[in-house]
Amino acid sequence: MAKAILYDAIKCTACRACQVACKGWNQLPAEETTNRGTYENPPDLSFQTWLKIKFTEVKRNGKMDWLFTRQACMHCTDASCVKVCPTGALYYHELGFVAYDKDLCSGCGYCADFCPFNVPRSDSNLWTGVAKMDKCVFCTTPGLDRIAEGYEPACVKTCPTGALTFGDRDELVVVGGERVQALQANGHPNAYFYGDKELGGLHVMYVLGDSPDVYGLPVDPKVPAAAIAWKDVIQPIGWAVGGLALLGLGINYIIAREAKLRRELPGRKEE
Amino acid sequence: MEQEVERYKWIKMEQEVERYRKPTRILHWFNGGAFIILFFTGLILFIPSLGFLAVDSWTRILHRIGAVIIVAGPLIYLLTNWKASWKGLKEAFVWGKDDLEWLKAAPRYYFLCDEEAMPPQEHMNTGQKLWWLMVIVMGVVIGVSGLIMWVFKTTAPAALLQWSIFAHDVAFIALGAMFFVHVFLSVIHPLMRPLRTGAWSSMARGKVSAEYAKAHHRKWYDRVSKGMKESPSADE
Repeated sequence: MAKAILYDAIKCTACRACQVACKGWNQLPAEETTNRGTYENPPDLSFQTWLKIKFTEVKRNGKMDWLFTRQACMHCTDASCVKVCPTGALYYHELGFVAYDKDLCSGCGYCADFCPFNVPRSDSNLWTGVAKMDKCVFCTTPGLDRIAEGYEPACVKTCPTGALTFGDRDELVVVGGERVQALQANGHPNAYFYGDKELGGLHVMYVLGDSPDVYGLPVDPKVPAAAIAWKDVIQPIGWAVGGLALLGLGINYIIAREAKLRRELPGRKEE
Repeated sequence: MEQEVERYKWIKMEQEVERYRKPTRILHWFNGGAFIILFFTGLILFIPSLGFLAVDSWTRILHRIGAVIIVAGPLIYLLTNWKASWKGLKEAFVWGKDDLEWLKAAPRYYFLCDEEAMPPQEHMNTGQKLWWLMVIVMGVVIGVSGLIMWVFKTTAPAALLQWSIFAHDVAFIALGAMFFVHVFLSVIHPLMRPLRTGAWSSMARGKVSAEYAKAHHRKWYDRVSKGMKESPSADE
């Protein structure tokens, strides 16, 4: 039974308790930042900030609207990062999330390059390339695994307004759908349920007050074409090319050696 | 001119012809060594069950050392041997009727060891040219895409990084497969044995016997032995 988080952007007050809880539970240090004239802080995700609330200012009919979204791994069913991870460090958890075995990470960064939501980050060293990726793992880090113990993720636990809920994905899909309908009938005509269908179904779903692009979310996220061309087309061809090349050379060797020996037989000496 | 005279001496005394000068041979072996490092540290990302070898980035450090060698080598060579470089580059791109003949004869030659089948060849035969052309083209592809993945990892647009990885993979497959063909046809194929006769000696010592040159690179041999107007560089 797949589990999921439902985030309600309308109920969210951007208190950022989830950010703090995430850091607290996952033992991630705070980052020193400078005041940029916004409450949004830190400015971006990083290898030690796996979750943050994004602030968006929109002007509608001369009125300012302040929108909040949760920025963290969306735990896709068709996860590009899992597809391109060469070591199997990123994998599907039995409950549907994209879990991560940090020990296996080679630091190649392909997950970051291909993530449609630009989530995974690393502490990469530019010159040596030594790196470890990091991202939200749905509180399943070994030793800090809340899910296995039957708890909700730390962000959900701490949320004071009920904007974050955790539960069976199927149930949350129903809850989210009803909530969006209610919003559409009550002053949010563009209310949108995000994550129900996207990328095979996300395990973090959003109830949005407006269409996703207003919040800076990709409207129809896809596994990048390059990932498919690379993993599903070129790599199988590579196996075939490599295999056939070695096989062909082996066959050639056997036939050519025969032929050469025959030519060197006494009586037919050519050299 | 002095080197030209030198070469005649070789032909006369030892019955040998210089085929690759020292800088060319050094470049070849540096690139070959770097290629093997790059090939295997890249291969483990290609084979999921070997992925564990890449853990903790140590193979990336090796990969980058190899990358620096394989990029710096040709660049240094280009700057210090620009005349030979230019000739060598031209060699890869000039194709003619003889090449078609060679391709037609190649199966007879390589499978049936029929050495009479081959039409007379220039300094490089068609097969060597094919590999050389591929090294140049795919080398640029793999070098540029690799540079993007290294230096612009955090700044390049996602799509550029994605297609760079794709291009790197395509070039890896092409070069990787052809690398085995190259090694096979140079030193393993029954016609290339014993080693001292042909390809190996030309890259190891830089010289081949006049007889070998005559048999395998007739047009080049004729040109060189007649002392036609040619640059002193042997690896044209």
